[in-house]
Amino acid sequence: MGDSQYSFSLTTFSPSGKLVQIEHALTAVGSGQTSLGIKASNGVVIATEKKLPSILVDEASVQKIQTLTPNIGVVYSGMGPDSRVLVRKSRKQAEQYYRLYKEQIPVTQLVRETATVMQEFTQSGGVRPFGVSLLVAGYDDKGPQLYQVDPSGSYFSWKASAMGKNVSNAKAFLEKRYTEDTELDDAVHTAILTLKEGFEGQISGKNIEIGMIGSDRIFRVLSPSEVEDYLQEVE
Amino acid sequence: MSRGSGGGYDRHITIFSPEGRLYQVEYAFKAVKAAGVTSIGVRGKDSVCVVTQKKVPDKLLDQTSVTLLFPITKYLGLLATGITADARALVQQARNEAAEFRFRYGYEMPVDVLARWIADKSQVYTQHAYMRPLGVVAMILGIDEEKGPQLFKCDPAGHFFGHKATSAGGKEQEAINFLEKKMKNDPEFTYEETVQTAISALQSVLQEDFKASEIEVGVVRKEDQVFKVLSTDEIDEHLTAISERD
Repeated sequence: MGDSQYSFSLTTFSPSGKLVQIEHALTAVGSGQTSLGIKASNGVVIATEKKLPSILVDEASVQKIQTLTPNIGVVYSGMGPDSRVLVRKSRKQAEQYYRLYKEQIPVTQLVRETATVMQEFTQSGGVRPFGVSLLVAGYDDKGPQLYQVDPSGSYFSWKASAMGKNVSNAKAFLEKRYTEDTELDDAVHTAILTLKEGFEGQISGKNIEIGMIGSDRIFRVLSPSEVEDYLQEVE
Repeated sequence: MSRGSGGGYDRHITIFSPEGRLYQVEYAFKAVKAAGVTSIGVRGKDSVCVVTQKKVPDKLLDQTSVTLLFPITKYLGLLATGITADARALVQQARNEAAEFRFRYGYEMPVDVLARWIADKSQVYTQHAYMRPLGVVAMILGIDEEKGPQLFKCDPAGHFFGHKATSAGGKEQEAINFLEKKMKNDPEFTYEETVQTAISALQSVLQEDFKASEIEVGVVRKEDQVFKVLSTDEIDEHLTAISERD
């Protein structure tokens, strides 16, 4: 960054003290497809809608939920291309940590480094903020964790959270249904029901994605048929 | 000193508008449509075919130099729809990247890797003010070792998807509607059916019958893996087959 002619920040304070570009970025997130995460007592689940622009698109070529390390996964709401940049940078940071300490990076530290990248793009010259919010799900020595990172670079740990188009309904639904001692399988069912609330059309294993991590500390994305099994259980 | 945050510059460089949109990216899409050319890509059981209109604006032009269909490597092809100059710049970078990949890793760059690389480059232009997005939609075709025939489409926003069939350019939406009907039940087209579906889709959407010199056709087939641009004779054979079929 600091591209020659643009060595000034594009995100600047308005007279009322707001950083307007960040607010616009949040609007972009708010018009993205709904995604959510739930922290259970023995794991974390994240899920998202996967609505594709046409039936001609090969849905096997698209995966929204990504693995950052073997024990940390991430989902986004907002602009897909921006999320790819963050996923790539986070993966590299995790690898660099491992190279130095020969230990997997703790979830909080990876979240902090990703958030720092996002903050840099709100202050550096010639760039705009990222148009995505991320939900990071991981399981390390501190147990299961769920973090949400916003375009401003601020991050919080959540018991359950949602982002995107249907955020207010989804969050209300989660507030009602969340209990401290939820088990991972129940959390998956709750996640599916929450997605179903605002879903337009017929929900199936092909138009949602679910990722989960349990006490085995391996993050994985469920296959469409596994998602179908969970959908059947919920019926 | 130019202030970017909503000081009316959200239309000139890629910063967010109040509705959370990127106007420059949307205008790039409009530039693709304004080029006035429509392209179609179809993926069959063991082949992929792309077709585009060949508009030669002046009779004095050398027709052979007017092309939007480029080989990137022996095995990968790229069909560009939109601003020709941006297309050539993109193709040059893609060729370089594919060659370096082969040198660095010892095997041919797969289709989805090239598509992802192009899409990531396009994303950078949407986030950094110093470069505007390219006014090009790129369709990449090739045969993947494990997944078979692949057709990817990359757009100025940095999105990329694999497609069973797709379209870009002036009559993009009409073409997609036509193709959705044809591909509804996941048909497994043979090579001839793939090429003829692509050409007849273009003819139907533009409501004209083409001569072989008015379209460009590129194919990859599983049996020989290489990307090939069809000659006018080969195109003629397919056009004849289509008119006899109807």
